[in-house]
Amino acid sequence: MAAVGERAVSYDARGLAEPNAVAPETAVVDGQTAELDAADLSIRQINLELRRLVYGLGVTDVVVRNPGSKHSLGVGILTRCRIRFEGSLGYFACGLLDGPEVHITGRVGWAACENMMSGVVVIEGNAGSQTGAALRGGDLVVKGRAGARSGIDQKGGTIITMGSVGAMTGFMMQRGRQVICGDAGPGLGDSMYDGTIYVAGKVKALGIDCVPGEWTDADTEFIERKFRIYDLGSPPSFDKFVCGKKLYNYDSLEPAERKLVL
Amino acid sequence: MAPDEHILNDPDQMHHDPHAGGHATAEGGPGGDEQHAQSVTGHHPERAQWTMGTSIDSEALWGRRFPYQEDLSLVEDVDLVAATPGADINWLEDVDLLQEEGIPAVFDRYSNCFLKIHFPIPAGRENEIARKVLIKHLQSGNSYGIRMKEKHAKFAQPELGPWVANSRTVGENYTPPVLEGWEPPVH
Repeated sequence: MAAVGERAVSYDARGLAEPNAVAPETAVVDGQTAELDAADLSIRQINLELRRLVYGLGVTDVVVRNPGSKHSLGVGILTRCRIRFEGSLGYFACGLLDGPEVHITGRVGWAACENMMSGVVVIEGNAGSQTGAALRGGDLVVKGRAGARSGIDQKGGTIITMGSVGAMTGFMMQRGRQVICGDAGPGLGDSMYDGTIYVAGKVKALGIDCVPGEWTDADTEFIERKFRIYDLGSPPSFDKFVCGKKLYNYDSLEPAERKLVL
Repeated sequence: MAPDEHILNDPDQMHHDPHAGGHATAEGGPGGDEQHAQSVTGHHPERAQWTMGTSIDSEALWGRRFPYQEDLSLVEDVDLVAATPGADINWLEDVDLLQEEGIPAVFDRYSNCFLKIHFPIPAGRENEIARKVLIKHLQSGNSYGIRMKEKHAKFAQPELGPWVANSRTVGENYTPPVLEGWEPPVH
């Protein structure tokens, strides 16, 4: 006899919340383009439908209407395609991407594009905290403002924020680049191992071991190229910040870590 | 069984074969051949030096080199912009020429290993060549971690990744391995 509060747990080795969900097959497909109305679909149904379209049917352009700020949409898409979300997304949007080019017309919650490997994500509105957490590669463009700890543990890629960013942006950054066109909150680049942070506005306070860097022609080329690609207008004047390397230096840590294990 | 099936079905064999030896020679493409089969099943005399110690390069995983590691002309035509999302080289911006065991190498994050480059690299083109060798390696389907997908992928995904168009989908019918005698907990 089950005790009070005890209940059977549906076990799934992959940790899926809806292990038996299937793609609803409600998208309207026209050749290599498709439109999906997400209004009445669950998160997993939407993601399954996206996979069916881009993997199964070879669709290369998808428009998702009425995303309704649902969480974890568009995650784990591992192929080249274009996805346009017409509206806002909740937390952990478009994480673990490897290849897609995504356009979000609204806002996003926290941890958008976490662990993105490659691809392009453009967010028209604001983004929550931990935007681009552990980003590995690709470009993330936030046309509004971003919250605290943007690019925390960033390991590569580029995060461009047209507005201001919150506290501890670039915390423990290990590689990659952040371009901040507005102001930066306190603790910018705290405990960063490597990487580059460009700030056009005011910095409330630098974090530990984050120091001004020397501007080079490569910095100019990089900034101008990204502004041109994403049609962001004329770039403002930036200050550059890098790791002072007084703390631990990342320097090829990932390969070295594996050697320690062997 | 095709040579590459042998690798996929028993990827650890090459690391534990007591007769393992090896000599790094460039062989075959993604399909493999009899010579390839011989190399991965442990008949090369010097392979022990790859499989012991702390080496984490592609040759240790595969037991062989690939032709594009030894011939610049095989990677010259790789289009980096076309191979990556967006209007520039995207994630390859973070890929630089490194060194492994004193040899120029590029790091393959999809296999967590180095891919050594054995031909002379023209001055001023170090990072470009490193990126081209890596993309050639990925597009050829020779990244060891990618080759594990067919057997171990838990979710539907393109087998060869975003750098190859129309790659077949794997991982659609994943079934977790069952440990004999183990019962799932009641709660």
